[in-house]
Amino acid sequence: MSETLVSNEVKPIRTTESLKKPSRRQKIFLAVLLMLLVSYPLLQFVVGGLNYWLHMLLYTFMYIAMASSWNIIGGYAGYTSLGHNVFFAVGGYFVGVLLVYFDISPFLTAPLAGLVSMAIGLLVGLISLRTRGPAFIISTIALVMLVKITFDNWDYIGGTNGMTMPPLLDISLDLVKFPFYYYMLIIAIGAVYMSYRIRHSKFGLGLRAISQDEIKAEVAGIPTNYYKILAFGISGLFVGMAGGIWGYYLTYLKPNIFLLIILAAQLVLMTVLGGKGTVAGPVVGAILFIAINEFFVTNLGFTELNIVATGLILALVLIFFPSGIVGSLRERGKLPPFLDWD
Amino acid sequence: MVLLEVDNIRAGYGDGPDILKGLSMEIEQGKTYCIIGPNGAGKSTLLRAICGLLHPREGNVTYKGEILNKLRTDEILRRGISFVPQDRCLFPDMTVKENLRMGGYILRDRKELEDRIEEVLVMFPFLEERGSQQAKTLSGGQQQMLAIGRALVLRPEVIMLDEPSLGLAPKIAQYIFDVIAQLKDAGMTIILVEQNARKGLECADWGCVLDLGINRFEGPANTILNDPRIQELYLGRQKQDRQEKTA
Amino acid sequence: MNQFVQVLLFGLTLGGVYALMASGLTLVFGVMRIVNLAHAIFMILAAYIAYFAFTIYNIDPIISIFITMPVMFFVGIAVYWLFFARIKGTARSGELTVLLTFALALMAEGLLGYFFSNIYRSANPPYATQALHFGPYILSAGQFYATLMSIGLIVLLWAFLKYSRTGYAIRATMQNISAAQVVGVNVERMSMVAFGIGMALAGASGSMMSFLFTFYPGKHWEWIAILLALIVLGGMGSLGGALAGAFILAISSALVGHYYGFTWSPITFFLALFIVLLVRPQGLFGKKMEA
Repeated sequence: MSETLVSNEVKPIRTTESLKKPSRRQKIFLAVLLMLLVSYPLLQFVVGGLNYWLHMLLYTFMYIAMASSWNIIGGYAGYTSLGHNVFFAVGGYFVGVLLVYFDISPFLTAPLAGLVSMAIGLLVGLISLRTRGPAFIISTIALVMLVKITFDNWDYIGGTNGMTMPPLLDISLDLVKFPFYYYMLIIAIGAVYMSYRIRHSKFGLGLRAISQDEIKAEVAGIPTNYYKILAFGISGLFVGMAGGIWGYYLTYLKPNIFLLIILAAQLVLMTVLGGKGTVAGPVVGAILFIAINEFFVTNLGFTELNIVATGLILALVLIFFPSGIVGSLRERGKLPPFLDWD
Repeated sequence: MVLLEVDNIRAGYGDGPDILKGLSMEIEQGKTYCIIGPNGAGKSTLLRAICGLLHPREGNVTYKGEILNKLRTDEILRRGISFVPQDRCLFPDMTVKENLRMGGYILRDRKELEDRIEEVLVMFPFLEERGSQQAKTLSGGQQQMLAIGRALVLRPEVIMLDEPSLGLAPKIAQYIFDVIAQLKDAGMTIILVEQNARKGLECADWGCVLDLGINRFEGPANTILNDPRIQELYLGRQKQDRQEKTA
Repeated sequence: MNQFVQVLLFGLTLGGVYALMASGLTLVFGVMRIVNLAHAIFMILAAYIAYFAFTIYNIDPIISIFITMPVMFFVGIAVYWLFFARIKGTARSGELTVLLTFALALMAEGLLGYFFSNIYRSANPPYATQALHFGPYILSAGQFYATLMSIGLIVLLWAFLKYSRTGYAIRATMQNISAAQVVGVNVERMSMVAFGIGMALAGASGSMMSFLFTFYPGKHWEWIAILLALIVLGGMGSLGGALAGAFILAISSALVGHYYGFTWSPITFFLALFIVLLVRPQGLFGKKMEA
């Protein structure tokens, strides 16, 4: 029985969105981009004083990784998660505990943190993905609250005061951001590459089918439950890693910082702005969002108006450009090749 | 007299393709029409386009000289066209009486509404018995009766039924067709979409075969029923008493 | 005096208020099929209205519902018209709309924070700190009155839905939207009205909140999470379920708070949510969700 006036027609998967191999030009573009990013910090020795930019870049890499990861469950599978900060927090704290109590370097433990986050994602997914639609979103919100309250009350990890972590001491100020920069770059590359591979796989196709019409997908033989849970778990992997490194970078961990819903809001906005369900979308969205955010912060300061701006931009995008930048460009046939990775 | 005229309409859902691709039909007062055809042909779409759940993209639906295209469902209801959708479409948690009351939703006069409900209860006495039962507790056939009764509360001139016998056991489906025959005798104009094409055509005056979004064949119901081409294409060969070979 | 009964009573008097809060949320879900993530921030908006009405004009917070309810009703209509009416026709509007409510919540939170800053506030009418004695048991006067008012409003809501013409139309839309269209209900308008009513209920909730709890803009996430847990437990779209969920969880969290410490009591809601999802995803009274 149709629930709405208009029957929920499945949008045909447009054949122009062919899963094509990247062209030579695209590969060259990537190679050049990579070279630039890798060599950029070296300018520090030439010009100096680039710490602000190194910071902005590694911050951007981190969000690129997180948005691309979020996209796997929120974009490809169509299940909006407002609880991704949990992965971030778990990653951060896992690394933090191992550093503070056992003296193990975060650079070693971060991948492990990612795996732990992924495991949690799989476990939680087993429960909360038994439902469809809004109930899932609700469960992610509840998850954040649950974790926040637990962390707030858990003395071993510092409760509401959190933990401080020893900074990297024996490195000159000039070089101190370098390891973080490269690590985040690697995480970003990993996340985007994973997103790309999933998009071009049977798994990815199945997720897209689920996002369009889950019942029909199930009837068509796609193991929807398994795919959904897997997607949710995988979406936590790089977020957890990023969390581990970020906590170390900040040198402190606090439930308040990691577990605010505003972070989830930002992830949603970035991905929707750039283009939900595309490979390049989250990347574009992350870059754009951080640029706009910096602009607002330098001009308006850290006021609540930032939150208003986030909400406003999200609302405008949802109403007028629901497919995001990459999606809208593609729909109009004007997508430049360097953004076309689907 | 021609009551309702569908003139070369194109219609579809959302951004989707046209389902009706230039369909024309004329409905005369007091006659019963049965529309048959394969799935996806547009039978339900046609009914929805007439009653306002869907707006035609091209062409006109005209009722007593007035173009209905842009009107809302309640406005079309007021003009005398009622629709009973597939799957009964009842309010499951409301009682039988409340469902009937919803049938008269657009009537503002309390007294008139009560009177009309009485009329319907006279016609379907078993609904009176179950007045306070929730609609979801009724059997399939009873639910269909309720759905038809609900459509009758407004004393429509034209009643459209989308596959009323769907999912009902043959005996009960027959009862539904008897009711339709009753309405016919009372002078109502009836448009019937039926998968059970034979039964549907048997109680109709006129038959239309819809396929691929247009009105492919139409004619007196009897003719359609006995036409071998149509039998083969749309009705399936008759297996009545295991004796009939198709003519 | 029995500790257990005392805590029980405490939970009961809280349950009424929670039920009021949840009722608006569940009504909107039942009619529009969307989860309004902005419901709590609108409650807080109403709480500010009640707070300033009290501190500046000395209007009793409970009485302030006569201001907050109409104001929030019109805010709801305006919000619906400005935002939701525009998305309605498009495909996949469900998911989009939930995200839109999320954006709305952010905007409202930011604006409230900007104008009123994040200071913790709470109105202090005299009954907020008084206690009532029922035999050996003590009840917070504020909570008691608030619950009475909440139950009264819920009864009014129930009567409205059951007996008024608009109420019929709303219930019809909640039960079967296609059937409602067929009998001539203007479903669009009903959605708008339902949203307005939902906001009005949020308004009343906000009035209660202003003296029962300390509030500030950022707190709404905690509230919406709690309310969502309530309606999932009760069954989304079911008003009776919202009531049941509210009382069950209010009492449970009171018990948890008493025996394990108050910082742990909010966790009851979220644990309950996950258990419900695990065992009976449609909640106590809800129907199986469709995609």
